[in-house]
Amino acid sequence: MKKKEPLIKNPSFQSILTSLLCIILGLLIGYIVLLLINPSGAGEAIKTILLNFLSRSSHAARMKALGNTLAKTAPLLMCALSICFCYKVGLFNIGAPGQYEAGACIGLYAAIAWHCNWAICLLLAAVAGAVVGAISGALKAYRNVNEVISGIMLNWIMLYLTNMVLSGKNVKEVASPYTIKVSGKSLIPSAGLNNLFANNRTVTIAIPLAIIFAILIWMILTKTKFGYELRATGFNKEAAKYAGMKEKQNIIVTLAIGGALAGIGAACLYLTGYQQWSTTQTSVPTMGFNGIAATFLGGLHPIGTIFASFFIQSITDGGALIDKSVYPSQISDLISSIIIYLCGFVLFFKFAINNWISKKDKGGPNVNDVPVTDAPAKSEGGEK
Amino acid sequence: MVLLLQYTIIFASVLCLVALGGCFSEHSGVINLGLEGIMVMGALGGAVTMFLLPSGTSKIVIVLATTLFAILVGMIYSCLLGVACINFKADQTLIGTAMNLLATAAATVFVKAMNTSINPDNVSSSIQYIQEKKAFLKYFGGFEFNWFMVMAVVMLVLSWFLLYKTKFGLRLMACGENPQAADSVGINVYKMRWAGVLISGFLGGLGGIVYITAGVSEWKFEMGVAGFGFLALAVMIFGQWKPTNIALAALLFGLFRALSNVYTGIPFLKAMNLPSTVYNMLPYIISIIVLAFTSKNSRAPKAEGIPYDKGQR
Amino acid sequence: MDAPYAIEMVNITKRFPGIIANDNITLQLRKGEIHALLGENGAGKSTLMSVLFGLYQAEEGVIKKDGKEVKVNNPNDANDLGIGMVHQHFKLVQCFTVLENIILGVEETKGGVLQMDEARAKVKALSEKYGLQVDPDAKIEDITVGMQQRTEILKMLFRDNEILIFDEPTAVLTPQEIDELMEIMRNLRAEGKSILFISHKLNEIMSVADRVTVLRRGKYIGTVDVKDVTKEDLSRMMVGRDVQMVVDKEPAKPGDVILKVENMTVASKMHSNNAVKNVSFEVHEGEIVCIAGIDGNGQTEFVYGLTGMEPLVDGKITLCGEDISHDSIRKRSREMSHIPEDRHKHGLVLDYPLEYNMILQRYYQSEFTSKAGFLKRPEIRAYSERLEKEFDVRSGQGPITIARAMSGGNQQKAIIAREVDKEHKLLVAVQPTRGLDVGAIEGVHRQLIAERDRGRAVLLISLELEEVMNVPDRILVMYEGEIVGELDPKKTTVEELGLYMAGAKRNVFIDANTAEIEESEAIDTAARKEEA
Repeated sequence: MKKKEPLIKNPSFQSILTSLLCIILGLLIGYIVLLLINPSGAGEAIKTILLNFLSRSSHAARMKALGNTLAKTAPLLMCALSICFCYKVGLFNIGAPGQYEAGACIGLYAAIAWHCNWAICLLLAAVAGAVVGAISGALKAYRNVNEVISGIMLNWIMLYLTNMVLSGKNVKEVASPYTIKVSGKSLIPSAGLNNLFANNRTVTIAIPLAIIFAILIWMILTKTKFGYELRATGFNKEAAKYAGMKEKQNIIVTLAIGGALAGIGAACLYLTGYQQWSTTQTSVPTMGFNGIAATFLGGLHPIGTIFASFFIQSITDGGALIDKSVYPSQISDLISSIIIYLCGFVLFFKFAINNWISKKDKGGPNVNDVPVTDAPAKSEGGEK
Repeated sequence: MVLLLQYTIIFASVLCLVALGGCFSEHSGVINLGLEGIMVMGALGGAVTMFLLPSGTSKIVIVLATTLFAILVGMIYSCLLGVACINFKADQTLIGTAMNLLATAAATVFVKAMNTSINPDNVSSSIQYIQEKKAFLKYFGGFEFNWFMVMAVVMLVLSWFLLYKTKFGLRLMACGENPQAADSVGINVYKMRWAGVLISGFLGGLGGIVYITAGVSEWKFEMGVAGFGFLALAVMIFGQWKPTNIALAALLFGLFRALSNVYTGIPFLKAMNLPSTVYNMLPYIISIIVLAFTSKNSRAPKAEGIPYDKGQR
Repeated sequence: MDAPYAIEMVNITKRFPGIIANDNITLQLRKGEIHALLGENGAGKSTLMSVLFGLYQAEEGVIKKDGKEVKVNNPNDANDLGIGMVHQHFKLVQCFTVLENIILGVEETKGGVLQMDEARAKVKALSEKYGLQVDPDAKIEDITVGMQQRTEILKMLFRDNEILIFDEPTAVLTPQEIDELMEIMRNLRAEGKSILFISHKLNEIMSVADRVTVLRRGKYIGTVDVKDVTKEDLSRMMVGRDVQMVVDKEPAKPGDVILKVENMTVASKMHSNNAVKNVSFEVHEGEIVCIAGIDGNGQTEFVYGLTGMEPLVDGKITLCGEDISHDSIRKRSREMSHIPEDRHKHGLVLDYPLEYNMILQRYYQSEFTSKAGFLKRPEIRAYSERLEKEFDVRSGQGPITIARAMSGGNQQKAIIAREVDKEHKLLVAVQPTRGLDVGAIEGVHRQLIAERDRGRAVLLISLELEEVMNVPDRILVMYEGEIVGELDPKKTTVEELGLYMAGAKRNVFIDANTAEIEESEAIDTAARKEEA
């Protein structure tokens, strides 16, 4: 069986192909919308969205803009990793935004009110996220509450709770709804990275940190005993139980880890000084939801999410650069949400590719090549 | 107090409508997390209709046209869920989430583009409908009566009738409980699920327009519908997928929502000096607690969330 | 009536990727007869019925009703032709009432409102006419399996179906219920209904059917009159050779007690009663003990309680002298191997490669995991390759084959390899031959006996009478959660075993008072048997 398989049969290649398909279709629809609004500048606008920082005029401006995009990619990547990790264990962590909020809440409070060192703030944010994740996990493990539902509820509870906590008088600016700017040792250090990006202070070690986390998550899932257990639980909870794995404990631990990742994600944004928390916001931050996009676009692979996160963040920032008097900047939100929607069709796309391959190979589809959805009745359902 | 009653009823109407929408979709076997997005689209449809209707249009035309377009847009939008989750067996959680994000983004883009095309300096994402909104209202003393309240009650009764007294309801619920059984007696599961999803688009869209006309006369579409779709989901679960219970749950959660708006006008609540966020949080906290105690013997449709595949029996 | 056949399927061929499920099959059902369709698992019976119901379209062949060719594209068409079916897995909505389930799909309405009263009257009339007792307003989730089956039959009668198909209807029933069902089928025949009875149980076919059509591996073997053949003839047609009724084995040499179960009680998930009540017995090293019984008499819960997947309500389990009553699954698995009832649900992670499934019970041991918590991939690969070779597990790509892509027999072999190779004193094998073909079944039986001869204690849980009679050294019969009999397979007969399984007889007692009465009954039956 050592015969070299053609590239198109390689599952990883198929994942990349389908992701690219989603992106192309998403961009196409976005372009059509731009054409409808105003045909004359549509081409230019979609180019700007795609090129993002590259569309800036000078080298320094380009690097600065790239720095900004990277600074926001880090938290997005952390959220995506949170969702990706849980998904591998069969849990849909739609509660990532809530865990993210919890991280922001405690991380910012520690930074502003107590002037803690950034590392301690980061750790506290992780713990806060983990606690919220663990609540979802415990509800699922012991009370049979679907993690999607409890996650959604917790997203809103944490939003209001965070608004309440960060409205305290020594954390919020007196005249505005925003929290006081993080400063001093509470800021995540740049360690010289800022110099590479035209002295952009928001470029910090959060970025390499997030990438290290991605690699770490990938290693845990595929190379360790812990990952073996978690993935077995995700594929077949009953079999995991049969093999003596503690599935309830695993559910809680998984969501706690997912929560910690999302919590760190919040710290990676708010502790760089890039943004302040608005205590009057009435909607759940989209960072967590965009994490879902990055997860699925990244082919549910921790390494894939690195690139997907960067892409999503890049088109979002690119959207802010287009001519606002003609086109709404939310066009890039539109594109990324269409991409998420299309990600729902990934399994179908892969199925179609495999069908097409087996037709080309003749001899009808080979059972081994066809994904789970196929194999009508013959394997299990047929005769009993 | 009158204000509290008025807000409670109008918010309860919204929640009831949208939760019933979710109820139909879930009874057919499709989890609809995209209710929030459907509401946004319904709100958009209704608001744009009000905005575009020439001034001086008769009240009845305003009411009918606005409602109709809100429903229509909601139903069209719900097709995104149907196509993906029924025909292509996509992950229902993923699609629902995508629909919520997409609705806000699309509505914002649409309204901004519309505003800019009328007045190049107007880049806001708001639509105003001060005059047109009056068509829905009637005053009884201090109580602001809204025709949508009647609609909510009518929809509630209709939903109950449809689910429990007609063959459509029987078949719909069979598809959500045991689609294989439904299929074996010749019921087209895909069709019934489509019906469930479209009805949820109908009711969700209607709920959307009711929500944005409830307290204000202009709406900023960047905000979406501020989590009301998710609150409706909580109402549906709290109401155990039954229309009558959903109505009661909607009243309770509507009360909390109303309290967060008007608690400063009620002396003893004001004296407690709780921030309004507490009232906002309460419905969600209650939902989680209730879920924690009822989920072990939940009445959720058994086959919900599982794509139906004719081949697998 | 000139056309003698109610329904005919002529030269049906249906292919699936990789296999021909039905190869030129002809089935002719006469009016007013009970016609059995006989075949092993995988013979193509279900596929043929799916074609008849329009769930699949046959590539070749025609379906005729009363001699005229018809097209069946979906279950509605089948219904229009008057064909109804009681599926093996009931197609009932659990939270609906019996009546709602019966009318589903053929509801009468007036002004859009469901007309329940007329339907209820019709159902009552039908159930009286055919002796199908059932409460129309009871919810399905609250009634017994037998009543659920009657609901399914009423569903067909309510639709005035003339052709009734029963797909393995007795698998889930108690012997009394089976007798009742046979009676019902005869009643239906007397009323002129044509019945197709799908089964692989020869006794039932001999007792109720007029004619029988036999399939083997997707091929048509023949159609015969039941009165012209013997059970042995049918059996030969079904499996293609004489069934070897006796498994070769030496007499057992039991040693020390390995497993001791005392007063074990396990709660049921389905109802508020206990599923397993006060069960006590021992298993020694070097013997195979079989727990026999009809499906659903507490065997599943018993295994869950024994292996730690469900907590005990009461009782004590001692394994190799250690009390394990409250130990975790993991801790019990040190001395206990477990071949689970459902290999897809419990036995395998279908999306994992074969090599990962081979270490499912041992992945955490130092042989496969380093101290730092990393998996030792080369060792895992080598281990899997060794097991595959030793136990003849065949797969497309060896260790990296995804378990889902393997055949049922090889999946089971992989599980057996894993459980037998791992360190253990007790092997719990739950229906280890379920869904396997004859060759594979023999292999599994050989493995069990080899285990015994290596000095292990083997506890076999089985529903198949043939297996129960031939493999074990001792038989315990479980009925409604209790052990009601202990039998020696060399001395007992299938008929006697059946009486125990049906709860008509018992020789193990827990309560002294009931003992006397029932003992006398037992003596009665024994005496009667001697007379005969």
